[in-house]
Amino acid sequence: MQTPTISGSSQPRLARGVRLQTDPKTGSSVLLFPEGVLELNETAQDILARCDGRTVSDIVKALADEYNADNEMLAADVRETIANLQQRKLIELT
Amino acid sequence: MIVPRPYALLAEITYRCPLHCPYCSNPTQTRSDQELTTTEWTRVIREAAELGVLQIGFSGGEPLARPDLADLVRVAREANLYTNLITSGIGLDDDRAGALRDAGLDSIQLSFQSDKTDLADELAGARAHQRKLNVAAKIRAAGIPLSLNFVIHRRNIDRLSEMIDLAEMLGAERIELANVQFYGWAFLNRAALLPTREQVVRAREVTTAAKARLSGKIDIFYVLPDYYETRPKPCLNGWGQRYLTVNPIGEVLPCPTASSAIPDLRFENVGAHSLDWIWRESESFNRFRGTEWMPEPCHSCPQREIDFGGCRCQAALLTGNAANTDPVCDLSPNRSIVDAVLSNLNSSTDQVTDWTYRVNPQHGQR
Repeated sequence: MQTPTISGSSQPRLARGVRLQTDPKTGSSVLLFPEGVLELNETAQDILARCDGRTVSDIVKALADEYNADNEMLAADVRETIANLQQRKLIELT
Repeated sequence: MIVPRPYALLAEITYRCPLHCPYCSNPTQTRSDQELTTTEWTRVIREAAELGVLQIGFSGGEPLARPDLADLVRVAREANLYTNLITSGIGLDDDRAGALRDAGLDSIQLSFQSDKTDLADELAGARAHQRKLNVAAKIRAAGIPLSLNFVIHRRNIDRLSEMIDLAEMLGAERIELANVQFYGWAFLNRAALLPTREQVVRAREVTTAAKARLSGKIDIFYVLPDYYETRPKPCLNGWGQRYLTVNPIGEVLPCPTASSAIPDLRFENVGAHSLDWIWRESESFNRFRGTEWMPEPCHSCPQREIDFGGCRCQAALLTGNAANTDPVCDLSPNRSIVDAVLSNLNSSTDQVTDWTYRVNPQHGQR
């Protein structure tokens, strides 16, 4: 399946019927959806914690500032994670 | 052995159902019709959350047959569980849809038998299809996320594309296209339900194309027709690893079909033990946990932690021994059993068409 291009101005949000919550047994974040539990890696946790109406570019910038990281590498990482979650209908882009 | 924590509880709250689908995975014989009470289910749900469960599926039978469904959903939400209702939709009016939404229901998985009324009603053994279409609209109106579920078999597999169109038209977020798995009534009716090889090949093409077309719009989950595979499904992600089922009479099962498929396994009841004890300590949950129990060719197989030797129920139903390698695996010494079933169907011009409709457990509820 080809990866769709993720525009910097699009706003990712949790898709309908998907819940982000802390797993009380591990303290880490999980996505819950019909018949599914996804344990999130650090990148996905960082992104989903910031899916509050911000654009993809703003999320990249916030993470780059926070981790003092190279913007371009980080941007590629964020876009890949967003594309992956979007294909599985766990987040929606508006 | 380190005992893992479970992630999901399947709550089969009743075996009663207004439909009579011949592919139902429920047991063909039930030992009792004494359903757990609301208080008992409340305790089970809270114990499950304590144990680490994050998600509950309300199923059956038809869970709407229980008037306390919304109360149980509320209990589950209060325990911070993700709540999913797996239903035929029969019995869901505006009031109940509203009550379920207000109780916090996260998602409804609505079953359809086909996209066409006459075929769907023939399969369900009831006039249900038009009512289901109305129910889908009520679910959307109540604002509850909707998944559509189709069980796929020889009689409807050629209509996959139309069924996907129906799901799109009804505004579903997800579609589950589940090739029938042969347990319970489906095992009894296998000769009439098993698709041909040609149908299976075509279905894979249709699904692959639809997945690409609907990527990001509708999530399509395709359950493989495992008799046609060469490696077994990773059933349950391993016995007693992630899932548990509580059936209507309170038996706790590693797998919903185990009570009928594996008669020599004794299942514990929530009336006698805590869920925690049953999950960790009971013989039924430990019998096939991990890899130590495995016979060859599984025991030394590099795939053993990928497919876990396949399905214990399938091994029991087809070979008479639940501890055997799932005979779907082409490394199994019993693969010839599956091959014989397939070649019998695919070489014959005279296919079995009649089946036995599912019937309800015999006595009324208490």
